[in-house]
Amino acid sequence: MLRWIGNALNSSVGKKIVMGLTGLLLVGFLVEHLHGNLKLYEGDGTGFNEYVEFLQGFGPLLVLAELGLVALFLCHIFLALRLTLENRQARKHRYAVRNNRGKESFGSVSMFATGALILGYLIKHLIDYRFADGFFDDPKGAVANTLSQPGNAVIYMIAAVVLGVHLSHGFRSAFQSIGASHPKLDAILDKAGIAVAVFFAVGFGSFPVYYLFFWSPSS
Amino acid sequence: MSGDASHETMRITLKVWRQSNAEADGRIETYHVSDVSPHMSFLEMLDVVNERLLGQGKDPIAFDHDCREGICGACSLMIDGRAHGPEAETTACQLHMRHYNDGDTIHVEPWRANAFPVVRDLVVDRSAFDRIIAAGGFVSTPAGSACDANSLPIAKENAELAMDAAACIGCGACVAACPNAAAMLFTSAKVAHLSLLPQGQPERDARVIAMVDAMDDEGFGNCTNHFECMAACPKGISVENIARMNREYLRASLVSRSVE
Repeated sequence: MLRWIGNALNSSVGKKIVMGLTGLLLVGFLVEHLHGNLKLYEGDGTGFNEYVEFLQGFGPLLVLAELGLVALFLCHIFLALRLTLENRQARKHRYAVRNNRGKESFGSVSMFATGALILGYLIKHLIDYRFADGFFDDPKGAVANTLSQPGNAVIYMIAAVVLGVHLSHGFRSAFQSIGASHPKLDAILDKAGIAVAVFFAVGFGSFPVYYLFFWSPSS
Repeated sequence: MSGDASHETMRITLKVWRQSNAEADGRIETYHVSDVSPHMSFLEMLDVVNERLLGQGKDPIAFDHDCREGICGACSLMIDGRAHGPEAETTACQLHMRHYNDGDTIHVEPWRANAFPVVRDLVVDRSAFDRIIAAGGFVSTPAGSACDANSLPIAKENAELAMDAAACIGCGACVAACPNAAAMLFTSAKVAHLSLLPQGQPERDARVIAMVDAMDDEGFGNCTNHFECMAACPKGISVENIARMNREYLRASLVSRSVE
């Protein structure tokens, strides 16, 4: 009865549609994440504490949302592994000489590497905050404490840039994968893909820069 | 013959993949070719090399070719790491030696993809494409004799898009150039071509599912939207067709009454 779903999801087209959709949903998460983080700049971070309290107020619903997020990540990561392995397998004998024609980009050829780096960063990020003792007592203090350490700040800056590189291909590519392509749309997407990448890299990258260089404990 | 240009010749060093049969280990061999006329096509230059090899009692370099007019899709050479060589929208048979300089070294390899096994030297087996077409790249409606003009209206825009997709000659450059060895551009061109025309409608849903299944069964890679295929295509087939196939596949999966 449900075999058609399995067939569709296992096909090369089904896989890329799911990859694109989960990617776009994760970009949706990034939008809300950045929105929340920007409250760190509001009233010396008190806005951020209020935001965290607001989220905590959802109780079980928040746990449900977190589980949904975990499912999205797992789906995206599982497909990335599968696509990468299958695509390596598809050309066992490599070319002695290969030149591209300028269509593939640094972002497109490094998707797996940037994705793996983001996953590594994500684990550190969760340990730093979500699963850190006392984070929920004073969220803004925990952020300041982490990001004012040069080692951490540099890792967070690099992660923001890596995220931007991932999105420089991923955002544009997701629309193509779900079939949203049209001369009118493509012209916008080509620019929007880069704009989205820069937006998130600068947005998330601003926090370690701020806490490392412009923030002092007394302020 | 008059004019100096016709008497100019070039010396070219070729590094060519030689493999005596499908099972044999191949290797790259070097050939020094003098007396290459800039007016020769790339394939004519290989003909000259082969004449010489035959004269020496050696095996000529096997390569696919047929019309030599750029419309049959037989030629399939990876030249200096680019499918059909350096020129845009040009098959290897239409690539001329005037694009090279005296003393150049040129690497020639066969298409590389598990789904395109090497048969001999530069010849690969592209019957995987035939099997994708056999899975649904046709209309079963008896076409009969030509009908009266305008009895079957087709929007101009759709006719143009279908014609653009139908320009695919099935050479396999898209697979060869794809970092993932995916066959999406080829398959999507065939799906798009028929899905845009009224004659293709009765089998529209079954076609896209059957052709994608057949493509996956052949062991091609998955498309990750590098778009190298479009840049390598000698007929300039657009990746817009891939997006169309993705839509067609999604639609067919949802509306088709088959539960298999």
